[in-house]
Amino acid sequence: MADAPPKVNVTIVGGGTAGWMTAAALVKLLPTRCNVHLIESEAIGIVGVGEATLPHIRAFNERLGIDEAEFMATTRATFKLGIEFDNWGRIGDSYIHPFGTFGRGSGEPDFHQYWLRLRQAGHDVPDLENYSLACMMARLNRFALPNPDPDELTSTFGYAYQFDATLFAPYLRRFAEGLGARRTEGRIVDVLRDGESGDVTGVKLESGETIGGDLFIDCSGFVSLLLGRALGEPFQDWSKWLPNDRATAMPCRTETALTPYTGVIAMEAGWRWRIPLQHRTGNGYVYASAFLSEEKAAEALVAAVEGEPLAAPRVLKFKAGRRERSWVGNVVGVGLASGFLEPLESTSIYLIQAAITALLELFPDGPVSPVLRDEFNRLVDLEYDRIRDFLILHYHATERTDSEFWNYVRTMEIPDTLEEKMELFRRRGRVVKYREGVFLDASWIAVYLGQRVIPEGHDMRADAPDAEALLRAMETFRREVRATAEAMPDHRRHIETYCPMAA
Amino acid sequence: MDGKAIRHVLVAGGGIVGWSCAAMLRKRIPALAVTVLPVAPPPDALADRVQATLPTIVYFHNDLGLTEADTVVRAGSGFRLGTLFEGWAEGMPGYVHAYGEHGRPFGTASFHQHWVRAALAGEAAPFDAFAPAAALGRAGRFAHPEAGGAYAYGLTLTPERYRHLMRAYALHLGAIERPGDIAQVRLAGEDGRIEGVELAGGGAVEADLFVDATGPRALLRGALGLRLEEWGQWLPCDRLVMREAPPAAEPPLLDIAVAEAAGWRWRSSSPALATEGRVFSSAHEPEADGAVTLRQGRVAQPWLGNCVAIGDAAVRVEPLEWANLHLAHSAIDRLVAMMPDRDFSPVETWDYNRQGVAEADRVRDFLALHYRASRRSEAFWRDAAAAEPPPSLAHTLALFRERGRLPIYDEESFNRDSWLAVLLGQGLLPRAADPLIEIVPPDESAAAMARMRSAVAAGVPGVPTHAAYLSSLSRQAAR
Repeated sequence: MADAPPKVNVTIVGGGTAGWMTAAALVKLLPTRCNVHLIESEAIGIVGVGEATLPHIRAFNERLGIDEAEFMATTRATFKLGIEFDNWGRIGDSYIHPFGTFGRGSGEPDFHQYWLRLRQAGHDVPDLENYSLACMMARLNRFALPNPDPDELTSTFGYAYQFDATLFAPYLRRFAEGLGARRTEGRIVDVLRDGESGDVTGVKLESGETIGGDLFIDCSGFVSLLLGRALGEPFQDWSKWLPNDRATAMPCRTETALTPYTGVIAMEAGWRWRIPLQHRTGNGYVYASAFLSEEKAAEALVAAVEGEPLAAPRVLKFKAGRRERSWVGNVVGVGLASGFLEPLESTSIYLIQAAITALLELFPDGPVSPVLRDEFNRLVDLEYDRIRDFLILHYHATERTDSEFWNYVRTMEIPDTLEEKMELFRRRGRVVKYREGVFLDASWIAVYLGQRVIPEGHDMRADAPDAEALLRAMETFRREVRATAEAMPDHRRHIETYCPMAA
Repeated sequence: MDGKAIRHVLVAGGGIVGWSCAAMLRKRIPALAVTVLPVAPPPDALADRVQATLPTIVYFHNDLGLTEADTVVRAGSGFRLGTLFEGWAEGMPGYVHAYGEHGRPFGTASFHQHWVRAALAGEAAPFDAFAPAAALGRAGRFAHPEAGGAYAYGLTLTPERYRHLMRAYALHLGAIERPGDIAQVRLAGEDGRIEGVELAGGGAVEADLFVDATGPRALLRGALGLRLEEWGQWLPCDRLVMREAPPAAEPPLLDIAVAEAAGWRWRSSSPALATEGRVFSSAHEPEADGAVTLRQGRVAQPWLGNCVAIGDAAVRVEPLEWANLHLAHSAIDRLVAMMPDRDFSPVETWDYNRQGVAEADRVRDFLALHYRASRRSEAFWRDAAAAEPPPSLAHTLALFRERGRLPIYDEESFNRDSWLAVLLGQGLLPRAADPLIEIVPPDESAAAMARMRSAVAAGVPGVPTHAAYLSSLSRQAAR
């Protein structure tokens, strides 16, 4: 066999969640192929967005061999079964986007089609969330690990974590450094480039030291030091559809139940998150500065949080969109350096993970191959674009008329790709199925129905069973879901026995 | 909404496709009245005539509520586990495209990456040696796989008996047969819809929705005007000859597809009937008696207005890989799942066509791969291998070549194992092994692969022969 190619020197610019996730994955999974050197400055804070995650993060942790209970105790994590959306369709509305199915999630047509049929025939069947175990567990504040046997009702949900992102990066740093990642403390003052190819050849630190590399991973956050600033990769601005450009964050003491879900509450000019951790509750108000001032946002946040504030409100600025390409030359943007989508559906860490997964599978074994680079960009773009449509849906599918913000998003033009999806759902509850993409059918169904996009018709296959028999079967299933959820332990109790944080 | 519901569907086509469609419509949407015009399928309607079918037929039968006592025992079908390809790449042994897994993932990557590393070092056993279906198929043995098992199977039909079964079943489910040839398709004004079909023997049939299963002539859908996107530049064969032959004593589990000077020939056999066929390029070989013309391609918009083309009326491909009836079944499933109302909203038609077109194009890619990855010295094959592939296939090949990765598109009919069986079977290898497997030392990979290969081989002797298995099914069905 041919000699192994020389190792690729990977220089990661920026610590934080993106930087340390990338470093950890590379040293763990490609130890023979790369040397990892991460540069970060303690003077630059980490944004620490993405305290709430999607179930995919479990696959990332498993691949790295991270012990779940230890990880959860260290990051003071709680379990997450979905997201509760309040006041989105109308003020007073509430629905859950579950990490799980409606019905048993097997068979054709989808469960919601039977539900639609009965509703359209005038039957007074309960809301769809009553037929989802994940939703019922969330409503009752219960948690137990899912059953791997697909025939069991208790296999019909997944889960993610709500954790302290400022503890996740240090946790991964210990992991990565333990496996040989190098770290240099320092501020980058200049980016050196090859005059001919335009590739980045090194970064110069404040100390005068220059750090070279073959492949540069830009994890510098919004500033996008390499991809945006040095290489000038254009930014696709999506703020006409996603006008929110500020977040005011402020943690507080947890006063109410430790919910196994993230709260997302629509506000006058945006929305507010509520993320319960073991030791505190994270809160933030994401809003559009065109519709609300910083002062008013902070006031509204302080008035809304449930417990004693643990810090003063802190403001973050951003803009929705992504770089035209995430991988340019020998620079790969991961995380905020490549794009930003507001954390409405907890996608920040997912997008980091998707980029890392693609990078691992397409990792260069010499000079960067255009085929691999283009494939990376195709995969990353696909993720951004599909999440974008899903987020826009939340704003556009509203009946709210109580503020300028809601009037704008309710009446704005939306991308054709979303227009088609919504029209298909309105006709007969059909969800466009994709093989790839993070949000599957149940997610779309939850948001459509939760925000009053009600189909006119239904899948004709749902008419096959006899109406009385169907009503009985659905009622039996609803009771089974309820009883199964009620038999599970309380969320806080499960955490106390499984993964309590150090006192 | 109910006032706009489709109530009456007319299915034109008395072959397997037409009757299967009628049966599925009645089964899944009992509220529909279904009339069948049993127009005889012409010789070039391959979905109605080709014996070999893909594993998806099993799901189709399940959805219909048909058991193998009917579809296998009574209809005279046999099982099939794949196809043996011979002569497609000179210097390479024949290979089996078998259904189901080829090895199992271990360590940090999928199985084939380990295999590729060994192959690049010149130390790999044939890729199909790791596929249980290939081992069983070569040995002529068959039993149903366990649930979630390591292989899948299709059926080899006895087409005329199968057609009778499907007709009887559709009629049993309440479809109405209306004999008579189509004299004229009557259009409704200018809105691009069909109003009714006038029959040669007098009388007419009206309906809300018209399904065209009449084969490449597309007697209904053609009346609305259609454009065929032709695939001749990638699938260069344009003639087909097919004849029946007596069945083999022990029906094979693998069909055989042998490359010839200007095309390929096949043989498949159910317990009751064998077929021998030949597909070739008329530009490279003299005409043969009884050859039918094959214009491979797909209709740009299979569904237009109130008419949907299914089977060869929508997509025509050579029987290589036996996708013909599979594509028809998939279209029937899609029709039943997406049944619109009499508004025929453009967005619903668009979504149906989007899926059907994507599916057909990827089948085209998979078939074109066999030509692109061929290695033979004749002019026909040199040209076929040199033809610039369609962009989606070019993308697949470039990624495979670079990293052994296979992008999987939406609406894919053939899974990764199938793509790999053909790519690796015809001798295409990635430039280098995937870096992700490097943390598994080569000798560990080799040991794991050797264990898997032995397990596959060890699984064969305990399994009954195909004929013995079919007899036991017959006895069970008779009980």
